[in-house]
Amino acid sequence: MEVTREVFRNFPLWMQVVFYVVGLGTTAFVLYGFWMRVRKYRRGRDAGRFNRLGQRFLKALRLMATNATVFKRDAYAGFAHWLIFWGFVVLFLGTVTVAFDHDFLEPVFGYRLLQGTFYKWFSLTLDVFGLLFLIGLVMMMVRRAKHPPQLDYTRPDLPPDKYDRKPYLTDDKIFLWLLLLIGVTGFLIEAARIQADGMPEFERWSPVGYALASLMDGLPVDTIHMAVWWFHGIIVLGFLAYMPFSKAMHMVIDFANLMFRDELAARRLPRVSEEKMKEGMGYVKIEDFTWKELLDFDACTKCGRCHVACPARASGAPLSPRDLILDLRTWADDTIGPPELFEQVLRNGNGLKDKKAPAGEVIRAETLWSCTTCMACVEACPVGIEHLTSIVNLRRALVDEGEMEDSLQDALANIGDYGNSFGQSERARAKWTKELDFKVKDARKEPVEYLWFVGDYASFSPNVQEMTRKVARILHHAGVDFGILYEAEKNSGNDVRRIGEEGLFEMLVEDNIAALESAEFREIFTTDPHSLNALRFEYPEFGASYKVQHYTTLLVRLIEEGKIQLKKKLSHYTATYHDPCYLGRYNGEFDAPRKLLEAVGVQFHEMRRCRDNSFCCGAGGGRIWMDDSKLEKRPSEQRIEEALEIPGVNVFVVACPKDYTMYSDAVKTTGNEDKLKVKDIIELVEEAMDLS
Amino acid sequence: MNIVVPIKQVPDLVEELEIAASGKDLDREWLKYKINEFDDHALEEALCFKEAHGGQVIAVAIDGEDVDKALYTAAAKGADRVIKITGEVADNSHAHARALANVIGQLDWNMVFIGVQAVDERDGQTGVILAHYLGVPHISVVTEVQQSGGGVEVVKEFGGGIVAKLEVQPPAVFGIQAARQTPRYVPVAKVRRAMRGTELEEMDAGSVDVTAGSEVVRLFKPESKGGAEMIEGSPEEVAAKLAEIIKSKL
Repeated sequence: MEVTREVFRNFPLWMQVVFYVVGLGTTAFVLYGFWMRVRKYRRGRDAGRFNRLGQRFLKALRLMATNATVFKRDAYAGFAHWLIFWGFVVLFLGTVTVAFDHDFLEPVFGYRLLQGTFYKWFSLTLDVFGLLFLIGLVMMMVRRAKHPPQLDYTRPDLPPDKYDRKPYLTDDKIFLWLLLLIGVTGFLIEAARIQADGMPEFERWSPVGYALASLMDGLPVDTIHMAVWWFHGIIVLGFLAYMPFSKAMHMVIDFANLMFRDELAARRLPRVSEEKMKEGMGYVKIEDFTWKELLDFDACTKCGRCHVACPARASGAPLSPRDLILDLRTWADDTIGPPELFEQVLRNGNGLKDKKAPAGEVIRAETLWSCTTCMACVEACPVGIEHLTSIVNLRRALVDEGEMEDSLQDALANIGDYGNSFGQSERARAKWTKELDFKVKDARKEPVEYLWFVGDYASFSPNVQEMTRKVARILHHAGVDFGILYEAEKNSGNDVRRIGEEGLFEMLVEDNIAALESAEFREIFTTDPHSLNALRFEYPEFGASYKVQHYTTLLVRLIEEGKIQLKKKLSHYTATYHDPCYLGRYNGEFDAPRKLLEAVGVQFHEMRRCRDNSFCCGAGGGRIWMDDSKLEKRPSEQRIEEALEIPGVNVFVVACPKDYTMYSDAVKTTGNEDKLKVKDIIELVEEAMDLS
Repeated sequence: MNIVVPIKQVPDLVEELEIAASGKDLDREWLKYKINEFDDHALEEALCFKEAHGGQVIAVAIDGEDVDKALYTAAAKGADRVIKITGEVADNSHAHARALANVIGQLDWNMVFIGVQAVDERDGQTGVILAHYLGVPHISVVTEVQQSGGGVEVVKEFGGGIVAKLEVQPPAVFGIQAARQTPRYVPVAKVRRAMRGTELEEMDAGSVDVTAGSEVVRLFKPESKGGAEMIEGSPEEVAAKLAEIIKSKL
């Protein structure tokens, strides 16, 4: 017997014609569906993402092939997704190969690919991947049945009677079950055919189909084959038609979203064009969004990773990054389409159809103000959604209207008037140096090797000033040639920009750049991770590119060079370290602080969430100037309790002035002041140097 | 109804204040200026009134340090016209009121909202004298103004937490103690836009021929004399000693 199989087995011509007509019609419909989406994105503003296209494509291809972003921190879901992904890809390519062979090679060249050895290996490959596909789907079904918290669609901002998200659940079920049915019926067709052919020996190369076929002995396999074939064909075409209007669109859209994502998303926020500045900084209509933002809204698969990572949501604030994106999607779909088949329903005046203003109406002001800009959502998102960009663009509209808390308003006014949020005189900025027994160089007056950008909290906060002096003393002791800008330094603007006050940010950047240009130095270091981020990633766009590092990085180098000598081992401390958002996630500096902790000899233990998965203290993005008394439990307090899960822990190490402030407070409010000491890493270095 | 809001720049108390060599003024070389807080509230209340009932808000300021910036900020917040008063005006409430009255008299106005006082003021009378020159009623320590019938209803604060509502038929001058809400934040971009797109009108102060008004004889930091006596003992003993001390001082 010939080693091959018949396509359209037992099909009269009319049936084939019907199939081709329906098939081509469906394909046209699918293309139209996706074209409708593309047309929507074309209504968005330019996002400047068409550079380095080749590199972008290859990177997205690699992420797609490895499913690396899905595997991250969830190996089970990652593995199941990987099985489904590759199962689908191989089965799809297999079908394309059959069509190519049957509709092109054979009629045009009279050559048949699917025979002999190629057919055998082809059969084996498809059977194996078909099986892996089914295993992946079943794994996902089991996972869903266990109701993990990230798949809970409950909104944190509305009572349950105000919305209905059952359509989302329906969509999830349809998606999984359709794929499962497609896989299972595919195997059934294969098995029926093998049985009908009399179980030929070479079909053992289709192990799953062969095994199933052996169970079909005595059944009316020809009829079964025909019936299941049509059923399979119809659900496959149905699945295709459903794709552009459902969760399944992520299979296409998320490749594009990963390909066009900004590697510096959140770290470097988009500027507002001069043109736009004239009418207002923020987004007030759908056309204000960039096409990438509109794509972001569609890209969401509701995986909930951002939802569970978000410190605002975890502390009972009315913000979930997932829901923010989904609401914007619903609004975009309702205003400019195309519609989703399974959309959430918002009731009682919470419907989005008639809402005009994206900031304040579609997304409520208190939701936008809840964000700490910790970037956990952007980091966790497996499909490259840039939540923070949209949040800040919407906040800008609130700032345009002056819609903010009084305390935040005061902070902005102070920064505008005095260059610092403390509302103190500019000339008081370097007051902290007065208690030192040496003079800190004025970098504007004499050249220095290192320019120290001190930052507001380190300069003005009475609690942090002592830490700042310790840094100064240690660097002085190590013979480092450093200076500061004295009253010419202003708030770096990192948080001002994330509040959405772009005009003030630009003003601060101009002033700081003028001050930096008046000084002579080789590189910058800063004690403030927030300033680090602005100086490193945002100032270059305004023409100031400097080498900038965090003081922990500098300290490691000084220890390695022997300029700082540690004489004492601090093994009496059981310490844990909190990665500041702006040092870790934003700037990727995870190792320097840990090297310091190793060098000073503390007994070091990681918290449950650490490094890029670190949990925010709740102070970023301007939150430190807003009221947090309405939160169920402050993020900083949750974090202290997380640290206390480590047996015997007695030191909570920080490397950010805002963290020092937040956690010094949180150990008190949680009543753990006696158990846990909050220490800046510089205190440990000083203690280990044993200078006395 | 059109509301005129006179605003004034005052020394920023965040900076350390030094007394000038003359001993009669602050050393103004390093001084920073900011809008008088009460004027900021007067402007806010005027803007709230306008948003609720319509009309125009006209901010006026006697020329001085950083006055342009204050006027542009007022425009950015929503003032329809901003006017700088130029010419020689002595630094006392009588002269200020005269200059303001000269200019306001030429405007189409119904009410004046003026800060009830200023940190650098000596008598807190500018609003009162202005009302006199304009020949209209004046109410001081106002915290809210709402339209009511043909006139306005004004909330005035008295001491001891007592509040009165008064019906007033404009034209009138109100000394604003506090606006109904915190003065709004105006984004930097809006101020910059106002600087480019707003016409800063200039009007002459006219004849400011006033003879009244206070004059600084000597300016000095509060002088504290050392010494506090702690009175100890039972309540009766303490009371007796206190009474003795008071008697000796009478």
